[in-house]
Amino acid sequence: MNRTQHMVPSGIVAAVALWVCWISYTQQPADAFLFPRLISTAFLLLALWTFGKAVLGLSKAGAGLSMQMMSNLAPGLLVAGIYVFWAAKTLGFYAATSLAFFALLSAYDPAPNNSARTWIRRLLITIGYIAVMYGLFALVLKVYTPRGIII
Amino acid sequence: MEFLYYFGEVFTPVSMLLLVGGTVGGLILGATPGLSPTMAVALLIPFTFHLKPVHGLILLGAAYTSTVAGGAVSAILLKIPGAPANIATTLDGHEMAKRGQGAKALQLAFLSSLVGGVFGVLLLIFLTPLLAQWALAFGPSHLFWLAILGVTVIGSLDSGSVVKGLLSGCIGMWLATIGYDDMQGVQRFIFHDALGGGVNIIAALIGLFAIPQVLTMFAKGRHDDSIEAIKVQTHPIGEAIREVFKRSKALIIGTLSGSFIGLIPGVGGQIAGLVAYDQTKKFSSEKEKFGTGHSEGVIAAEAANNAMVGPSLVPLLTLSIPGSPTAAVLLGGLLIHGIFPGSDLFDNHPDVAWPFINSMLIGQILMCAFGIYVASFAAKIAQVPQSIMAAAVLGLAVFGSFSVQQSMGDVYVMMALGTMMYFLERYGFSAAPLVLGLILGPIAESNYIQGSLIAGATDGQFAYFFGGALNLLLIGVVVLSIGYSVFVEMRSRRALA
Amino acid sequence: MRNLLAGLAITLVGLTGNAFAADYPERPIMLMVSYGAGGATDFQARIVTMTAGNEDALGMPIAIINKPGAGGRVGWNWFAKDADSDGYTLGAYNIPHFIAQSIKGGVQYNKDSFEPIANWGADPAVFIVGKDSPFNSMADVVAYAKANPGKLTYSGAGLFVGHHIAALQIEKAADVKMQYIPTKGGGAAAMKSVIAGDVLGGINNLSDAYRAREAGNVKILGVADLNRNEEFLPDVPTMMEQGLDVDNSSVNFRGIMVPKGTPPEIIDKLATTVPEMFKNKRVAGKMNAGGSPMHIMTREQVQKLWKEREETLNDLLQGL
Repeated sequence: MNRTQHMVPSGIVAAVALWVCWISYTQQPADAFLFPRLISTAFLLLALWTFGKAVLGLSKAGAGLSMQMMSNLAPGLLVAGIYVFWAAKTLGFYAATSLAFFALLSAYDPAPNNSARTWIRRLLITIGYIAVMYGLFALVLKVYTPRGIII
Repeated sequence: MEFLYYFGEVFTPVSMLLLVGGTVGGLILGATPGLSPTMAVALLIPFTFHLKPVHGLILLGAAYTSTVAGGAVSAILLKIPGAPANIATTLDGHEMAKRGQGAKALQLAFLSSLVGGVFGVLLLIFLTPLLAQWALAFGPSHLFWLAILGVTVIGSLDSGSVVKGLLSGCIGMWLATIGYDDMQGVQRFIFHDALGGGVNIIAALIGLFAIPQVLTMFAKGRHDDSIEAIKVQTHPIGEAIREVFKRSKALIIGTLSGSFIGLIPGVGGQIAGLVAYDQTKKFSSEKEKFGTGHSEGVIAAEAANNAMVGPSLVPLLTLSIPGSPTAAVLLGGLLIHGIFPGSDLFDNHPDVAWPFINSMLIGQILMCAFGIYVASFAAKIAQVPQSIMAAAVLGLAVFGSFSVQQSMGDVYVMMALGTMMYFLERYGFSAAPLVLGLILGPIAESNYIQGSLIAGATDGQFAYFFGGALNLLLIGVVVLSIGYSVFVEMRSRRALA
Repeated sequence: MRNLLAGLAITLVGLTGNAFAADYPERPIMLMVSYGAGGATDFQARIVTMTAGNEDALGMPIAIINKPGAGGRVGWNWFAKDADSDGYTLGAYNIPHFIAQSIKGGVQYNKDSFEPIANWGADPAVFIVGKDSPFNSMADVVAYAKANPGKLTYSGAGLFVGHHIAALQIEKAADVKMQYIPTKGGGAAAMKSVIAGDVLGGINNLSDAYRAREAGNVKILGVADLNRNEEFLPDVPTMMEQGLDVDNSSVNFRGIMVPKGTPPEIIDKLATTVPEMFKNKRVAGKMNAGGSPMHIMTREQVQKLWKEREETLNDLLQGL
């Protein structure tokens, strides 16, 4: 199990290293790519070494991932992705953060979903969190967050 | 002893009020992800428009010292280093917090910040002219070797595999080359619009450290965390003081390496904490405990990053050259009031210069007292249920990375890097060497290019990079550092076999 | 019917446009500075906008947002491409930097991407050497460079910025080859390399060089401007006085601009208010205290300046 698993990330890293190396040695002007060439060469060698070790089944560091973890992770990663890459800018920072916070809390809070008290509690925590974030970033630090459709 | 004469100004009601306000405010700003000390001080500059010069500077000085220490709070409790200076603090500090020893870690952090900070300011007071010479001695070739020395620290940071540590470092250096090359203005590796401005170091720090945390909590799923709820231990301050003195070797190494590396313009502040951590680990008899929540790790890192504060101002105050971004902001604060740092400052405005320096001394004590006061409450953060914690940290990461320079691109980069880091970490790669590469890459590159241009016009590459006592000394330290890591690695392998 | 509707729409747009301009500004304004906090541009921008909240100025505060990187390219790219053209996003410009960069290429802006509002300062480039340097005039520098072609190293804050332009002009005027060393980290890093003796000389901002000379660290050999700077450096001759044909092309003009497409009413309002705001006594006092030369110009003057600069720079950078 572990051998195949290690091959995937180290394979991807090696592919990236190859791409970086290729760009560094082909792009012009050469002067600007002098340092990237140096780094990318070391990068590629180390990446190939790591990939080789993974293929031979010698990689041991790291705990890997299990199917259970992946399925636990999926909803959270999905919500986080939508929140960061789409909602934050489109809906507005504070609206998107409230929605994402509430969604994530509902997805991972172990309290029973069929009780009204659970939902009220989740709602209150979300409101409290947003109030703190608004107070800190909008009032104290005066950060201009992007305005979206809502706020 | 001239500085003693000006202590009176620090204890006037207005000064004390500003000092307390600056310290408390600075701790809060420092603990906010995304707000580096530089940003925090820049935010305060408008307030100083309305103050007398001496009061304005007291406020800025207090804020500078306490934001650096405040960064330890989020580094320990949330594993989000507020600035590069706090990276080393996360390594052991967060492990301690996870075991319920957050209060202890914070107390140790503030106490060692106090010791380091006071030492640094005393150096500033007594040895400024000498230190100025030392700061100037570092030319492009020396800074290049210093960056290489920083890379050798990687061996200490990575507990998994040295090759993967170095590979992580390479990934970091490559990430640092993305964007416009500062020297030629050529675009490099911009494969997405969000990368046009390059990878912002603070946003990357937030992503690489905070997001894997969040995803790890997600991966545990919808489970009842009351089963594994950690008991937050209270920790009497007396014990913390004893602990700091018991670990005096870590404290001394941290303080000394922090103050001398902190002096070097442009490089010091970023790597002082990491180098101190590495040195302390190498000299420690309990090497294997580092990275698992060892108090020496926290003590060394925090002593170092606060010890750097005083010396980092030496080039500014004596030569009018800001040695760090924060010093550059302070320079602005001085200029607005018509005060030119340099000999003019101490000759013609001693009534401003000395109260400013003295206030940093008093500010250290206030910072420590206030920090310890909040430590016990703050440590309770570890008891917040993981479902809330994960969502809250994600939100903070988004706001924090955005507020660095109001750029949505930084938020995208933060999230993308963080997600990538989570998966890489599962397979033995680690964030600390990657960040180190990100910091050292540009330093190594720009100094290499400058150095080779100068060398090309003068005595040739070899003579320039390998000649001179300081170059040889630095190369010697690099070789020793690598040799020592290899030696330790071999010995541990033999012990295993 | 369709015409009527169209007419109505136009009137409506016209009305709201005017109403918009009359109320402008109704919330705080942001000013993008494409250099880091603490740099000369940032520092001066903070001073000249500090009175924006006054009733006789804009009546709303201006907040500075820093977008540093690649000699200003990152910030100006963002400003040309992503900034809202609603009058609430202003930008600070540096001439000749952004024009030189757009001529060199690889950026997403040129002179026509922006609308100037007003100019607040002009910081000429000067030639400096360490305090113990044997050079005492530009003639010494040129003589050394003639005797040792390509061996005279001198620093400046990057490529295609004012310092680099001055360097190119000096080398061209004296017909010598010297080794320009661009530094990363702006004028401060370039200054450090001169004081520490890493390089033999350097180009730097007049304001920073003046301070360094006050601190006793450098000698200033010449000013790359049309006239001497009477305020701060009356004793330092210009390059022309020393026989080098260097005009004021490298002088770093700083001011405020908005992105193309900002409503004309708002541009007009800003163009009348902002120069007055710069003239505020407190602003002048703080600028003077910091050793930063002020030079207030109106929108029309700046438009002319931009056009002239583009032509001279086109010639100078030809074939580079």
